[in-house]
Amino acid sequence: MDYFLQQFINGLTLGGVYALVALGYTMVYGIIQLINFAHGEIFAAGGYMGVILLSFLAAHGLMETSPWLCLGLSMVLSMGYCAMLAMAVEKIAYKPLRHSSRLSVLLSALGMSIFLQNGLMLTQGVYDKAYPIGFTSGGFDIGTLHINYMQVIILGLTTALLLALNTLVYKTRIGKAMRATAQDKVMSALVGINSNRVIAVTFAIGAALAAAAGIMVGLYYGSVRYDMGFVPGIKAFAAAVLGGIGNITGAMIGGLIIGMVEIMAAAYIPHGGEYKDVFAFVILILVLYFMPTGIMGENVDDTRV
Amino acid sequence: MKRILSIILALGLLAAFAGGVQAEELKIGSLSPLTGPYAADGNDIANGARAAIKVIKDEGGIEGYDDIVLLAQDSACDPRQAVAAANKLINEEVAGVVGAYCSSATIPASETLAEEDIIMITPASTNEKVTERGLDYMFRMCGRDDDQSKAAVKFMTDYLKGKTIFIVDDKTTYSQGLADNVEKLANEAGIEVIEHDHVNQGDKDFSAVLTKIKEANPDVFYMSLQNSSSGALMLIQAKRAGIDAAIVAQDAVYHPQLIENAKEAADGVYLTFGFIDEEKPAFKKFKDAYAEYGDPGAYSGYAYDAAYVLLSGIKAAGSTDPAAVKDEIMKMDFEGATKHVKFAENGDSGSNYVIRVIKDGKYVNFWDPNTGELY
Repeated sequence: MDYFLQQFINGLTLGGVYALVALGYTMVYGIIQLINFAHGEIFAAGGYMGVILLSFLAAHGLMETSPWLCLGLSMVLSMGYCAMLAMAVEKIAYKPLRHSSRLSVLLSALGMSIFLQNGLMLTQGVYDKAYPIGFTSGGFDIGTLHINYMQVIILGLTTALLLALNTLVYKTRIGKAMRATAQDKVMSALVGINSNRVIAVTFAIGAALAAAAGIMVGLYYGSVRYDMGFVPGIKAFAAAVLGGIGNITGAMIGGLIIGMVEIMAAAYIPHGGEYKDVFAFVILILVLYFMPTGIMGENVDDTRV
Repeated sequence: MKRILSIILALGLLAAFAGGVQAEELKIGSLSPLTGPYAADGNDIANGARAAIKVIKDEGGIEGYDDIVLLAQDSACDPRQAVAAANKLINEEVAGVVGAYCSSATIPASETLAEEDIIMITPASTNEKVTERGLDYMFRMCGRDDDQSKAAVKFMTDYLKGKTIFIVDDKTTYSQGLADNVEKLANEAGIEVIEHDHVNQGDKDFSAVLTKIKEANPDVFYMSLQNSSSGALMLIQAKRAGIDAAIVAQDAVYHPQLIENAKEAADGVYLTFGFIDEEKPAFKKFKDAYAEYGDPGAYSGYAYDAAYVLLSGIKAAGSTDPAAVKDEIMKMDFEGATKHVKFAENGDSGSNYVIRVIKDGKYVNFWDPNTGELY
């Protein structure tokens, strides 16, 4: 039982990260029906920004005196940076193509992804960059169950960010504008919603969540790498589709499922570790076969598309 | 008109002059992954070869050549790219090649080079097949997988007194080959192999398999991975999972970066690695020449020795004719930076694996499998 619980926690942690990244995919898709393939690179950029800021703070001796403050500060700054980066990406690569065919925008997104990844490689080097602090061993025990502090932070922060996002989307004016734009861009523009601004804000929010995920992953695994965004990007995209793309709750559930399937496949199926990605995508295919709109259903009006 | 003519004339003269003083260059090549997941080791190899060129030049260079240059090619640890890079080196008419890194890239590249009778000395490919295909001009500077796994298993039985072992590899020719050897030898030595599990190259999350190991509670955890980057990730997560087993890894995981990234999680990890006497003059000479590239990585020393052997061979033969250079290389019997250089008929230079341990953020020689004694 303990073995199962331990693996369950592993799955939750991994799933939480996927969920945070998946939110960016799903929100952008919900608003402009674009699969933003550059999103995984934003996640990587967030992780790098975290390393740079934390190293800077550590070099100035602030890390010993107030590690939590440093961590919080780096996270906020990195989220802000990635939000701006994503808005710039949107302005450069997607906005000029807003009235072109969907295929051109998709290609533009893929191009942006390659561009950003190479940018990271050229500016930050091909080597792994280590985080100056690591929560490698700190944790607590419940019986024989060991829970690491970083797992608590990831799960806690993921939950907090999701609740904040939920409040933003369902309780605020900008959230209302986002939902309206998602439903009908032309109509909402006619009633006075600035859809360009709404789209930019959506990109910014998704990127901020990805940046937070990037830093947490960097802290959890101890280092970042220029190509770290690719695989989680694909997984998070799968999670968003699994949950029902365009649906925020769905992205969360999808992320948790993919993370959990990966861990449980490696834990219980002989040689499952080799094929864990296969299992994750088999689940995706099966769900889509029986529920074409994903678990929670797409938030898009099919008749319009 | 006159002016134009004189300019043309002047230009023509200049071109003729430039052609006349063109320096005679000796070109050697290197093949190693300069980008991608193994870039750290790949750059170490190219830099090791550069250090050797520097030393040879300081020793008076090679007669008949004004300059020696290294053409460093990116093999990306990929068979196709390695063959393409090998063809490029053939077109550049290199006198010999140091490389490649991954055995899976070295083997096809060596076959391409063999067609043109170009000497290849690998500083890093430990797979047995590299020298067992009867290629005339294939040499190996590092040790062999079968010897490495022997040293590892001997350490597990004689020193660690392990009864159970859990093996994990990441499915590359190198890591799986080594892990299979260890599994076989462990079985023969009476160690119970609880499980031999695999992960994927490029995985970041190993929590599932590590929790499995924690649950199985083996005496030894044999970590067979292709590079230090995955190694660091796995060590951090192993520490977090609370694994008490002795961790034994191998030479591909060895890198200054491993300690930098895994920090205290790397402490107490054992690695099988070719013995290097860091006090001997040849090693010091190498280290001085290498200083501008930083601390030597796992294969810098072997790459240095490989390039040094190649260039000394050309120097002694007085030509780049492969048969003549090979004769000279086979005659060599001297103390290199990393090991005693004396090639066997098949191109191997012997293995001298010892156990190193990471202690206080440093690699320290720990145990000698030949004598069974601590350093």
